[in-house]
Amino acid sequence: MFFRQAGIFHINYAADRALFPIPADRWMVGTLLALAATAPLFMNTLYLSSYMLPWLVWTAGALGLNLVLGWAGQFHLGYAAVMGIGAYAAVHGVRHGIPWEIAVILGGLTASVIGIGFAFAALRVKGLYLALSTLALQFVMDWTISHVPAISGGTQATLQAPDIRLLGWPVTSDAGLYYVALVWCLLVTTFMLNLRRTALGRALVAVREKDYAAAVIGVNSFYYKLVAFATSSFIAGVTGAILVNTFYHAVTPEQFSVDVSIQALAMVIVGGLGSIIGSYFGAGFILLMPGAMNTFISWAAAQFGLSLGIETLAHLPQALYGALIIGFLLVEPLGLGKIYNNVRDYLLVWPFGYVKK
Amino acid sequence: MGLAGDNSGPALECRSVERRFGGIVALNGIDMRIERGEIFGLVGPNGCGKTTLVNAITGFYPPQRGSIVLNGRDITGLAPHYVATLGVARTFQNLALFNGMSVLDNIMLGRHVHMKPGVIRTALYWWLARSDEIAHRAVVEDVIDFLQLESVRDELVDGIPIGLKKRVELARALAAEPSVLVLDEPMAGMNQEEKEYMARFILDARDERNVTVLLIEHHMDVITGICDRMLALNYGAMIGTGIPADVVADPRVVEAYIGGAHAAR
Repeated sequence: MFFRQAGIFHINYAADRALFPIPADRWMVGTLLALAATAPLFMNTLYLSSYMLPWLVWTAGALGLNLVLGWAGQFHLGYAAVMGIGAYAAVHGVRHGIPWEIAVILGGLTASVIGIGFAFAALRVKGLYLALSTLALQFVMDWTISHVPAISGGTQATLQAPDIRLLGWPVTSDAGLYYVALVWCLLVTTFMLNLRRTALGRALVAVREKDYAAAVIGVNSFYYKLVAFATSSFIAGVTGAILVNTFYHAVTPEQFSVDVSIQALAMVIVGGLGSIIGSYFGAGFILLMPGAMNTFISWAAAQFGLSLGIETLAHLPQALYGALIIGFLLVEPLGLGKIYNNVRDYLLVWPFGYVKK
Repeated sequence: MGLAGDNSGPALECRSVERRFGGIVALNGIDMRIERGEIFGLVGPNGCGKTTLVNAITGFYPPQRGSIVLNGRDITGLAPHYVATLGVARTFQNLALFNGMSVLDNIMLGRHVHMKPGVIRTALYWWLARSDEIAHRAVVEDVIDFLQLESVRDELVDGIPIGLKKRVELARALAAEPSVLVLDEPMAGMNQEEKEYMARFILDARDERNVTVLLIEHHMDVITGICDRMLALNYGAMIGTGIPADVVADPRVVEAYIGGAHAAR
């Protein structure tokens, strides 16, 4: 009912393949876009720059990982390292006088080139072995970044990220930084939405599902795996650069360590493999849930007059957060995106549930 | 087919093809010549090398000796995805559809060899990809119409019945507009009515879409009913080739299939 399909007749293939063929979806997307665009007007700066902004940047990052993991079906445990390459390349680029927007793109391209070079070797193995070799990428990059002073500025060093100058205009306000993150996130989202309806996206899914059947219809699996790694690395690189420029304002090797890779993986899996809206949910869940849990536990303890020890207060939210992830994945192994889809499918026909689909 | 070479000779020719796995000779000196527009049957008991021959043709197990010639061009040892671009399409004995995609998208994948997928095209869909997608969609809709798959077009391929899945796989192969279509047991597990449907689709595909068909089948009624010529294999060797009626009457073929001439009496 809410997502009413009755009365929608496509008279050409273009309309049939529109991004949002159902009016209710278009309204929803439009409303969300309007809210996102006007967020700086009604949202307090704390929320804007410490919740909204990292959420958007990480969503772009999660979408990039989803391209490799959810679409092409290849494990990637070194995603944070690739983001780090982009971040360092962009920061050094700007410090050497390259305009900011070009430096960011160069960061993406650097990440892409290193990603391809690595994928050439790593893609000779599959499955868990690929997971391990991508993990090797993570450790090699961690080591290289922290041990080469030309990159990191020396061990334990922190490199200040230069201010953003977009087409010559300095962007320093919270709202400005937020818009940079928003635009990047929307660009990546649009790309991923298009991927669902183009030959490239179909070829990637073919590689994921059955590589021999992909070969028999003319899909060169190795080539498309490389394309997936290259594109994903580009997205990762630019995302890393934007994360450093808009959120951290400085770059250190720890920002892109192995646990960040695991975190990115968690975003994609909790959100749902191959789900775009799922990456939004997943990034939001992984980023915001620990803090929310903390607040919730303290609040609940105060409500019931319990005096929890410091230790308990520190660990209980973590445990609950872990339990929530397990719980969601037990309910729906395909992640939060699939839960959203189930609800949507239900509402498609509600209250006439006996109508299939 | 623009990609195909010479159109005068046979569509597909195997010249003394030999394939070994360790000490086992899976294919031993196979000579097969399929004329353009033929429906050519390939039969033999389980394990006789039918699928191995198909895998040799499509590039999965390149032969150690002999050569395979497609439309006058030697394709021996080429990678499977490259053989596909030269105009060979096939279906699998065990279905090989892509789960998680709709029937439509699965058939659209059949157009892959004619499309130019790319990252930039995807990013700039509205300007660089849309018209191409629509043009290929029209071809796909034609195939959907041909195989009467309209009602399941938007269904996920995971959930449709097996008879339809086989038809979707045929559709995906036909969407590539191949010059040679290899069907590996398209009627396995089907009932009489579904078999008749499939036989009709194969005949129509040959007549209306100008494909040459290599058909592996265990149902002898189908082989004798729709094939122009056939080849029988046993233990990787040829035991009979020619007009189906003659081949199935050959005592060696009867023995291989049923086990001794006394059983056929």
